[in-house]
Amino acid sequence: MTSRVFAVFLFVAVLSTGIVYAQKTLTIVRPTDPVSLDPQLETTAPGSWVFSQILEPLITVNQDMEIEARLATSWEFIDPTRLRFTLRQDVTFHDGTPFNAEAVAFTWNRAFNNDPPGRWKALAGPVSGVEVVDEYTVDIVASQPYGPMLLTVTMPYTGVVSPTAVEAMGDDAFSRAPVGTGPFKFVEWRANDRIVIEANDDYWRGRPALDRVVFRTVPEEGARMLSLRTGEADMVLMPTPSDLPALEADPDFIVEGAPGVGVFYLAFNLDRPVVNDVRVRQAIAHAIDRELIAEAILEGGGVLATSVIGEPVFGYKDMELLERYPYDPERAIELLEEAGYTRGTDGLMRDAGGEILRLDALPSNGRSLKDREIAEVLQEFLRQVGIEVELHVFEWATTFSLMRGETLDYDLNSFTWFTTTADADYTMYSNYVSTELPPASWNRWRYANADVDEWLKAARASLDMDERAELYGKVQDQLAIDLPAIPLYGSYEVAVLSADVTGFVAHPIQYILDLFPVDKP
Amino acid sequence: MLNYLLRRILLTIPLALGVVFIVTISFDLIPGDPAALILGEFATPAAVAELRTSLGLDRPLLVRYVAYVGDILQGDLGRSIRDRRAVTAILGETFPYTIQLALAAIILVLAVGIPLGVLAASRPGSWIDNVIRVASLAGLSMPVFWTGLVFIVIFSVNLRWFPVSGTGTWRHLVLPAVTLALPSIAVVARMTRATVLDVLREDFIRTARAKGIGESSLLYKHTLRNALIPVVTVLGLQLGQMLGGAVLTETVFAWPGVGRLTVFAIFNRDFVLMQGLVLVLAMVYVVVNLLVDLSYGLIDPRVAYS
Repeated sequence: MTSRVFAVFLFVAVLSTGIVYAQKTLTIVRPTDPVSLDPQLETTAPGSWVFSQILEPLITVNQDMEIEARLATSWEFIDPTRLRFTLRQDVTFHDGTPFNAEAVAFTWNRAFNNDPPGRWKALAGPVSGVEVVDEYTVDIVASQPYGPMLLTVTMPYTGVVSPTAVEAMGDDAFSRAPVGTGPFKFVEWRANDRIVIEANDDYWRGRPALDRVVFRTVPEEGARMLSLRTGEADMVLMPTPSDLPALEADPDFIVEGAPGVGVFYLAFNLDRPVVNDVRVRQAIAHAIDRELIAEAILEGGGVLATSVIGEPVFGYKDMELLERYPYDPERAIELLEEAGYTRGTDGLMRDAGGEILRLDALPSNGRSLKDREIAEVLQEFLRQVGIEVELHVFEWATTFSLMRGETLDYDLNSFTWFTTTADADYTMYSNYVSTELPPASWNRWRYANADVDEWLKAARASLDMDERAELYGKVQDQLAIDLPAIPLYGSYEVAVLSADVTGFVAHPIQYILDLFPVDKP
Repeated sequence: MLNYLLRRILLTIPLALGVVFIVTISFDLIPGDPAALILGEFATPAAVAELRTSLGLDRPLLVRYVAYVGDILQGDLGRSIRDRRAVTAILGETFPYTIQLALAAIILVLAVGIPLGVLAASRPGSWIDNVIRVASLAGLSMPVFWTGLVFIVIFSVNLRWFPVSGTGTWRHLVLPAVTLALPSIAVVARMTRATVLDVLREDFIRTARAKGIGESSLLYKHTLRNALIPVVTVLGLQLGQMLGGAVLTETVFAWPGVGRLTVFAIFNRDFVLMQGLVLVLAMVYVVVNLLVDLSYGLIDPRVAYS
């Protein structure tokens, strides 16, 4: 009898320990492994999704694009080149090192002074480093007045690293097992297979609800979606767009998305005589049914772009392209005829010398959502108005070096540009100031407009956000007239979750994945 | 025998030098600058030039080649230009997965392919022969990315027997190993059938049969052993291929092996990692071929190594 009671007791005890130790593990699948977990070496989303759980910046932007405090409690410009942050005093790194101004200076100056410098240094404009004021005060300093400074500090790459860990482990080991102050701690990384992080019990905002997060690498898109169905995964990042409608209708899953900060566009090379004529560019804008591309090809994986920068970006203004350049092949043909071309019996446009109107295109291929399909559709749209387009398709590494070349031997190219800092300056300055030419910078359209140059320079130097927004609005109005590029679609940051996962909100900036409030039963 | 071994091993040296040279040249010929790729879309040309110098890319091709050979002799395959880890460490982490998958698959091939071939050859023209021949043709014709996905849908999604993808337990290994083995099983079964049929027509088999040796002993002892040399050659090639990384199978099942590493190295223009990979893969082929050659002597005592 006693032995039977004991057996029951044992059974219950075993059961209850099972319940007590049941771990809440969130498994996330995505297509690629990071290159590194150190922002020094890795600025792409697959890396940032992981290291931003471990390393925290001083401030961040939330899903509504408002600035939120993280390791800083307050901040102010003490002069136009100097932004002062007061730091939290109650934070320690995962390895026990206290967080202070030295750690912030160490992180930033490591990125700025190392050889080679951190990959994100190039994203920080004229920001030149950090100076320690006292133990819990730092100044972030720029070499010239820099309006986008505050948003620059929110980039997840600026996440503060533990100086003692970097020194003890060395840069190479640290890049595989980072130590920070964030809600999760690094556990293990098996390359191309999985990365495991676990809850930081001592996190200053309180312990996260999840015990563990496993990031699995599943390159095949079919297998990725199937692992959600079998319950092997709780969340799929970069899901297949064509699966989204079915998943949205299925009560077992949640599709959570937000319009992003990336814009995919068709760009002109104004050094080439044919597309240097604004009427030809306007004709091409009229020849393309942008709404059709957004609806029929992207399958919900992108949104119709309304400007050269995404809607969540500071400084965004609707360029009213649908009103200015509605889909109208007849108008396109008229504009081409005004530009001196005549349409032959074969439907092709010819110039005065009888040469067929032929454009060379360097399309993005396999880099952005449906880029190859879109290139072919654009080719067809332009053929409809008599323009022949030859697509020169290469794999990305080759396309990329051609695009960055000093001379660009193509009339058209396509590309997605992400406004990583969420400040218009980041895209506008490097893309549209007349002196910012490749290979040093990104004015690949060779666009030159003295007014735009002046507005962009003023907007960069000003700290008055209202004034800056107005200047960027003027620039976007001018770009809608000059049309160096036709925005086609905006990125849509989407994740698919199992229906029992709560607390996840998609972020417009693809690099930010907020797992702190996420929970599952 | 020892002489033979020594000669074979020495012969691998010029082979390795040649392989490394070809890889070095080919990465010079294809467009795409590794430094620009590492620094990403927004780097300044000064930073790119600086990185080219620190990677040694500004040195002439021959200088780089000689320096690399010198490093290899010291057991140093360099550091991946992408994640800065030692290539030997990356390979040490990746190869065990590939070896695990290749061995599991080759065991399946041995255990299924050879008996199927013998079975088909023992009753040529029968229904069982026809079934095996058609099935092996199907096994050969189906692309692995397709069979892999079909297996996932049947065995993972519907039956829930095996996980969709990943690593960890023996259950993770089953579907990728079967998927990878299928075409090889088909090749080996067809090869075994053909050679067994050839041997069965030989005079010594007729003599053995006339002496009254039992059918199964005749088939497995006298025939199979004599039919095995071409089969082992094919098996060696299959194993070499599997150890070289099964890109498609690894991709479908998220298996972190050498195949995916190779693709990663190419797309990232990680020429240091690629050089190490190609060198090690060439050596794997050499070793597998050597083992195959040595096995001839075990199978057929008339084979002499001189």
